[in-house]
Amino acid sequence: MSRSTGLRTPRLDRGKLRGREALLETPEWRELLESLPVLRSFFAGDPGAHGITALLHGVSIYLERLFDSIDRGAPCVWYNLGFNPELVYALGDAQPITIEMLGVMHNLLGNLDRSLAFIDRAEAEGAPGDCCSADKLAAGAMHLGLYPSPACTVGINTPCDAQVMGTQVMAELGRAPFFAVDVPYYHNEETVRHVAAQLRLLVPFLEEHTRRRLDIDRLREVCRLSNQMTETLWEWLDWRKLVPLTQSSKLVAFTLVLQILFTGTEEGLAIARGLLQEARERQERGERFFEERCRAIWYQDPVWTDMQIYDWFERDLGLTVPVDVFGFYAHTTLIDTSSLDSMLEGLARKLVNCHPMARQFRSDIDVYIQDFLHLHEAWRADCGIFAGHVACKHAWGGIGLFKEACRRAGIPLLVFEFDMFDPRVTSYDDIFFQVERFVNEVVLPRKARGRG
Amino acid sequence: MSAEFLQPFWRLCEASVPEPTARLRDSGRPIVGYLCHYVPAEILLAAGAQPLRLRGVGSEDSSAGDAFLSGRLCTYVRHVVSLALEGGFGPLGGVVCGNTCDHVRRAADVFRKKTEVPFVGFLSVPRSPRQDLFPYYRRELARLYSGLCEALCCQPSDEALWEAIRRMDEVRVRLWRLKELRLGARPKLTGADALAVHILAQTVPPEDFVALADPLIAALEASPGLEPPRAKVVLIGAELDEPAYVRLIEGQGAFVAADRLCFGARSVLPPFGKEPTPGGASRGDPLDAIARAYFFRPSCARMIGDFPARHEALLALCREAEAEGVIFERLMFCDPWGADQHNLGQRAREEGALPVLFLTREYGIVPTGQLRTRVQAFVERIEIQRARRGMAWGAVRP
Repeated sequence: MSRSTGLRTPRLDRGKLRGREALLETPEWRELLESLPVLRSFFAGDPGAHGITALLHGVSIYLERLFDSIDRGAPCVWYNLGFNPELVYALGDAQPITIEMLGVMHNLLGNLDRSLAFIDRAEAEGAPGDCCSADKLAAGAMHLGLYPSPACTVGINTPCDAQVMGTQVMAELGRAPFFAVDVPYYHNEETVRHVAAQLRLLVPFLEEHTRRRLDIDRLREVCRLSNQMTETLWEWLDWRKLVPLTQSSKLVAFTLVLQILFTGTEEGLAIARGLLQEARERQERGERFFEERCRAIWYQDPVWTDMQIYDWFERDLGLTVPVDVFGFYAHTTLIDTSSLDSMLEGLARKLVNCHPMARQFRSDIDVYIQDFLHLHEAWRADCGIFAGHVACKHAWGGIGLFKEACRRAGIPLLVFEFDMFDPRVTSYDDIFFQVERFVNEVVLPRKARGRG
Repeated sequence: MSAEFLQPFWRLCEASVPEPTARLRDSGRPIVGYLCHYVPAEILLAAGAQPLRLRGVGSEDSSAGDAFLSGRLCTYVRHVVSLALEGGFGPLGGVVCGNTCDHVRRAADVFRKKTEVPFVGFLSVPRSPRQDLFPYYRRELARLYSGLCEALCCQPSDEALWEAIRRMDEVRVRLWRLKELRLGARPKLTGADALAVHILAQTVPPEDFVALADPLIAALEASPGLEPPRAKVVLIGAELDEPAYVRLIEGQGAFVAADRLCFGARSVLPPFGKEPTPGGASRGDPLDAIARAYFFRPSCARMIGDFPARHEALLALCREAEAEGVIFERLMFCDPWGADQHNLGQRAREEGALPVLFLTREYGIVPTGQLRTRVQAFVERIEIQRARRGMAWGAVRP
C-alpha cells in the first residue's frame, strides 16, 4: 500500500516556533484556523446545534490562548492523551498541549491529507507500521516541529501500550524534563492513592520547570469547573438514554476530547452545557431527523476520519449510537476541593476510574466487559459494534472473551477491523457495508422477532 | 571440545518443559510458569515451586491462542497461550503474569478464565524505574509471595527467600563468567550458544543448570577461542528465545558479542545475595534485595522515560564488547519496543557513529533468505565504514 500523500512539508527546527506568526506560517496551523469559521457558518444553519457550536467556539478560544501564550513566551507543558490538564491550568499562564491534538483536529475537520502526512512522517522516522496511528499523529507533528517547545513533558501509561510508545517518543523529541505517571493495573483504592502520590510529586516538578507556582485557589476553581463539567456530562448522557435518540450519534465521542483538552476550563463547561442543552431541547421539541430503528453501543474507537458516517447510519439504516466507550464518563465521585491533598486524590481518581479508555483499557478484561454490558442495558441498545482499531492490542487481545460475554448475554455483536485515523486501512465504504449488513441481516430481523 | 558440552543446552532448549524440570514435576514439585523477567524466579523458588519461563517452543500453530487473543498480538504470547490451552506445558501449579505489556496482560485473562491452572498470579510492575515507585513493586512482590505460598501450602519465610537467592546466585555467577568469555579478540562462545545457555538458566532447576554449566565453562576456558569474526555486533530486543535465529545472523559474519535480550543477558542480574545491592538494600530483608535487583535492573522498553539510560547502557555495552554495530530485533505488534526502535533510530541518525539494523520478526519462524541478505548487507556496511576510517577491526568505537 502506498503511504505517500504527495504533501511536502518543510522540516522545521523543533522548538523554533517563537510566536503566533511563525506558527501561522505553517500550513498545518493556518488551515486549522481557517477551517473553524467555515465550520461555524456551516453549523449556523441549525440553531439547535448548541453542542457542536460550543465545541467549535471552545476550540477557537483554546487556539487563541495557545497563540497568546506563545507570543508571551509562557511555558508549555506537553502531555499525552491519557492525562488531564487541570494541574497545568492551575500554574498561572502555563499552557497545556496534548501532543495528539493537531493530528486529531485535522482528522476531525476532514483534512485527511494533513493527518496522513503526520502518520507517514512518523513511519519515515522509524515508528513501526503496526503501532497506533494516534501516536503516529503525535510523533509526526512533533517531527515536523509544529508545537512550541515544552518547558517539560508529562507522560502517563494509560490507557494502553500505545501510549507507552507515544510518551517515550515525546520524551525523546521534547528534549525537556519528563515526568512519568504510573497507573497500576488494579481497580482499587491503592491505585488511586498511588497515582495521587505521584501527582503530589508532579506539582513541584511542574513548578520547577515552568517557573510558575501552583495557585491553590486557582486549582480549586479549576477543579470546581471540572466537577461542573463532569456533572453536566452525566446529565447529558442521561438524556441520551431516551428512546428514540434525538441528538446526533457522532457527538458522544467528544466526551474524550473534552476531558483531554478542556477539563477545568470555562470553555469545557460551556461545551458540556451546549451538548446538554441541545439534547434536552431536541427531546422536548420531539425533533426527529431520522427514524430510529435500532441502537448500538459502539465499543472501541470512533471513525474519526469521517464522523459523518454516523449521520448516514442514522439516515440510511435507522441506527443510532447513544453512547460509546469514548463518550462514557463513569459515575464516580467528584473532586473534593477542600484541600490540596483532597484535590490531588480527586484528580487521581478521575484519571484512573473515569477518563474514557483509561478506565476500561488498563486492567483485566472484566472491567472492559462489565462496562459494555452496563452501557448496553442502561442505554437500551439492541446490539454491540466492536470497531477494532487495528493497532489496539489490549482490545484485540480481549476479543475472544469479549465475544463470549456478548454471546452469553445474547447481544448481537459486529466485529470489524479499521484504523480510526487512517482510512487507507479500511475504507469508508467497507465500514458502511459491514455495518449495513449487520443491521439489516442480524439486528433488525432479530428485533422483529422480539429478541432485541 | 566445548561443542559436546554445548550440545545438551541446545537439546534441552527444544522443549517447552526441559527434561530436568519435567523430572522434578514427576517427583511432586509444582511447576510455576511466568511470562516476563520482572517476575523474580526467587519468589517462586522460595514458595517451593520450580520456576519455568514460559516459551512457545514446540507450538506449530497459534490458532488456539488466536481465538482469544486475535491475530494482532505478538506471536510469542499467542504461541505460549496456545500451548497452555492445548496442554503443551503439562500440569502447571501456577502461572504468574504482569502488566509488563498489553499482550502479557491479556494472556493473564486467558490463563485465568480458560485454563485449569490453579493459581494465576499477577504483578503490577510500575512503568518507570523511579525510586518513589519502588515501594509499590516491593508490595506487589510481597503479595505475590504470600499468595503463592498460600496456594502451594507452604510457609513464607526470610530463610526460604535467602536460600532462593543463594541458589539463583549460583546460576548468576556462571552466567556472568560466560558473559566474560564472549568478550575479547577471540571470543569463546557464540551469541547463539550463549542464548541457549541463558534459556536453560530460566527453565531448569538451578542445580541442574550449574551441573551443565561448570564443565562447559571449564572447556571454554581451556579453548583457544573462535576465529576473529568479520564484525562484532550487539543484539538487542524483546522476547527472542530462538538460538537458531541468532545462529543465522552469526552465520553471515555478524558475531553477537553481547546482547540485551529478554531471554538473554537482560535476564541476568549480578549476584546479589552476598554483597549489598547498588540501591543500598538492607541485607537483612531478602524481599527488599530481590525487589531492588529486579526493579532497577537494565530496563525493558516498557519502562517509560528510561530510554536515555537504556541508550547509555547500550553504548557502554558496545564499548565493552568492541561491537561496531547494533542489531535490533522486534516482534511484530510490540509497541514498547516500537518506541525504542523509533528513538534508537533517531539517535543513530543524529549521532551517526553506530550503525543499527532493525529487524521485525515473528515468533517461531527463522526466516532465511531475507534475513541473510539484510545481515550480509549490514556486515558489509560495517566493513565499509571501517575501511573508510582506515582502521583495523575493533578500532571503531561508538
